Amino acid sequence: MEIRDNSIQRIAQMHWYNFVDPVTKLLLALFLTMLSFDFTNLYFEAGLVLFSLMLLLLSRLSSATINAVSFCLFLIATMVLIQGLFYSGNIHPLFSVMRITFYREGFLYALTMSARILIIIFAIGFFMSTTTVSENAKYLESIGMPYKLVYLLMSVCYILPQIQQNMKKIQFAERARGINPQKTVTQKVRSILPILIPLIIKTFDQSINRSITLQLRGFDSPSRTLATPKYRYFQTKLSHYLLTLVTILLIGWKLWQIISKFL
Amino acid sequence: MKENGIENKGNRFSMWKLHLSVATVTLIPAAVGINYVAKAFAEGLKLPLWLGSLGTYLASMLAGPTAGAISGFINNIIYGLTLSPVSTVYSITSIAIGIVVGVLFNRGWFTNAKRVFVSAILIALTSAIISTPLNVIFWGGQTGIPWGDALFAGMIGNHINIWIASFTDEFVLDILDKVVVAYIAFFIYRQLPQRMINYFKDNQ
Repeated sequence: MEIRDNSIQRIAQMHWYNFVDPVTKLLLALFLTMLSFDFTNLYFEAGLVLFSLMLLLLSRLSSATINAVSFCLFLIATMVLIQGLFYSGNIHPLFSVMRITFYREGFLYALTMSARILIIIFAIGFFMSTTTVSENAKYLESIGMPYKLVYLLMSVCYILPQIQQNMKKIQFAERARGINPQKTVTQKVRSILPILIPLIIKTFDQSINRSITLQLRGFDSPSRTLATPKYRYFQTKLSHYLLTLVTILLIGWKLWQIISKFL
Repeated sequence: MKENGIENKGNRFSMWKLHLSVATVTLIPAAVGINYVAKAFAEGLKLPLWLGSLGTYLASMLAGPTAGAISGFINNIIYGLTLSPVSTVYSITSIAIGIVVGVLFNRGWFTNAKRVFVSAILIALTSAIISTPLNVIFWGGQTGIPWGDALFAGMIGNHINIWIASFTDEFVLDILDKVVVAYIAFFIYRQLPQRMINYFKDNQ
């Protein structure tokens, strides 16, 4: 199946994930996260990890998701190490290396936590790799999110590269003036201000210009035209209600589990 | 109130405005961008700091606690969606930082170096109190910073309660970061052109 995007006159190939709207994808991520918090069985957690990984692999695996996984792997490794050695519920030794005992309970606890983190990464990765900034903006506005909030969320994605570019220019200018790479922590802290001050002033200046431009173009006008979503999604309301309801139930159940410990 | 070059024109009634003006709407993404770039900059210099709340501080100082809270919230959402999904839950901490900075600034606690230090301690306390339960829920109490986690491991190894160990781990890291960020924000605010400060204040 294909769809013609009139705005840019090109034919885009439709995939199964294009029929799922952005909010459903986010609610699905929240639902999977809450499931992993409510059911602490390790096999169930492993099943959820596999499900969210499959979801990601059957759509598109982006470099951002791989970066997120590698970013968290070090933390997961230290968590397994610290909990395996020092977890308060440690009783049964798993193995010993040079008189240091690694315990089963801490190891399993760390594995459960790691599984939850991987589920969040994969589920959010699915959302990130299958939606675009403009698609999210149009959809959120079409379902009634205030346009100012939509602008806030989406403009960051466009402004960020601009700020990064400005920073590179300022750093290059500082180097051209003969400022050498700093070695000690004090030197490094001192080197922050000569770069950040011009960067921040320039960024705020551009914000003022953007604000004046938006005002001139009638951003605050009540008769704004709503953007039309690019895709037609499958059963959006039903999936929103269903996922929201199940997630609320899971949150309620988790809260009850916590409260019942004190009763 | 004017002291040492910093003027706080806001008052306790106007600082909680929920209506977002176009000026604030364009200031918030800039603040989020500053947070993002400052954090990357600190990581590039291998500093033992995050600096990831600098934009939130400045947004709160320029446009009030609501703008600061929204900047902090969106910053964590964007950071969570692009780099570390678990960061999304720490948006609660960022919202609190934005609110506390805005309130303290409005009450004149960013007018001189001594007051900035007291403010920074209060901000670090707020951040640690809110982050500790999140650290325990998601990371078993760790913060992910090696030397802070070494302290945490040492305390857990000595059978100290996980909540106290996690709070100490977080607070030790936060106090350093928040004090440095508070002084950088204080210094940068003093360097901003008056027309810029007035523009964001007048257009709230």
